Amino acid sequence: MPEPWSIRKRSLTVTWILGITVIFIFGVISTPAFAHRIIVFAFAEGDTIQVEGKFVPDTPVRQGRVLILDAKTGKELLTGQTDDQGKFSFKVPAAAAAEKMDLKIVVEASMGHRGEWLLKAGSYLPGAASGQAAKPAPAVAPAPKAPGTQVANVDQQALEAALNKVLERQLAPIKEKLTELTIHRTSLTDVIGGLGYIMGIFGLWAYFQSKKGKDA
Amino acid sequence: MHISEGVLSPVVLGGGAALTAVGTAIGLKKLDYEAIPRVAILSAAFFVASLIHVPVGPVGLHLVLNGLMGLLLGWLAFPAILIALFLQALLFQFGGLTVLGVNAFTMATPAVICFYTYRGFLHRGGKIAAVAAFACGATAILLSGVLVAVALVSTGQAFFEVAELVALAHLPVMLIEGIITLFVFLFLQKVRPEMLEGIYA
Repeated sequence: MPEPWSIRKRSLTVTWILGITVIFIFGVISTPAFAHRIIVFAFAEGDTIQVEGKFVPDTPVRQGRVLILDAKTGKELLTGQTDDQGKFSFKVPAAAAAEKMDLKIVVEASMGHRGEWLLKAGSYLPGAASGQAAKPAPAVAPAPKAPGTQVANVDQQALEAALNKVLERQLAPIKEKLTELTIHRTSLTDVIGGLGYIMGIFGLWAYFQSKKGKDA
Repeated sequence: MHISEGVLSPVVLGGGAALTAVGTAIGLKKLDYEAIPRVAILSAAFFVASLIHVPVGPVGLHLVLNGLMGLLLGWLAFPAILIALFLQALLFQFGGLTVLGVNAFTMATPAVICFYTYRGFLHRGGKIAAVAAFACGATAILLSGVLVAVALVSTGQAFFEVAELVALAHLPVMLIEGIITLFVFLFLQKVRPEMLEGIYA
């Protein structure tokens, strides 16, 4: 069905406008980055470690498998399952605290989705240490000093433990927020940047092809 | 659709990478000067499509558009998808660099298969072509789902669990992709038939 040229030309302009509009709409809608990446993050609260897994941007990973591994050897320390909020918590394993292990926390969901988080020893050990120090009284200082100072010493330790506990509780939400902030979320810049890369790559390809055509 | 890093065994990863390399080589051989803009546009569309969430079904998925790419590109879908996936892995952290081969294979192979399966019907025009366009979009997703399941099962995940999930999860996406492919096909047929030249070649 050959159409008169003028109509065809106009419809092409319309096509381009439509196409560009669609691209822009997609760009705007997609800013919050919907897709299937699992983000995992974990932080210590006292001697407990809180783990949370969610699909980008904000859907909890329900009943996902949680693996706690020693980051260095890959040895499995414990496993668990996230609840309906995508959360899981566990006490710091004694072995991990003793050997100052960095923990690799893995959350797996169905169909090959998986996320990881590395929890450095430094960021959970203070809590674990204070939790354990409360039980066995610290070895009494060997130097035979006046008994008064010893009592003050123990008191101070108890006070410190109590303070630590309160602080941990107060800081937990802040820690959670901070940890969440370190996660890279897809932004509009990423999208536009990616489109730019694609154009560039194919532009280069076209350039070399056109060179080849001329040389031949 | 994107399998994450650290899920698959090295054998599966290596196999996927090798197959993708072969597919991409064939695609690049067929990539002539005229086709470059077409490949670039669809590569960009694929790159953005995975950000569009389809909030139906038990898990909710995103668009893939590999049926559409197959329809318009044939073997050229391999380089187009590979580049888009590479950028997705870098910029969005979807999938990952080690799984790039497997992911490209699970998405590009159905595109090529659908291209050859439905080309004859799309050629005929009219209602048959419309049905074929819909089927092309839907089948590509289904095949991708099957390939993902194969990759997971050959790494050692329980077969029935995976198969059930994949089938359930992909039904709504199949439908949506079928409709999108259908409309894009009809639209292009009307205003830009030269973009469909791959089918007629």
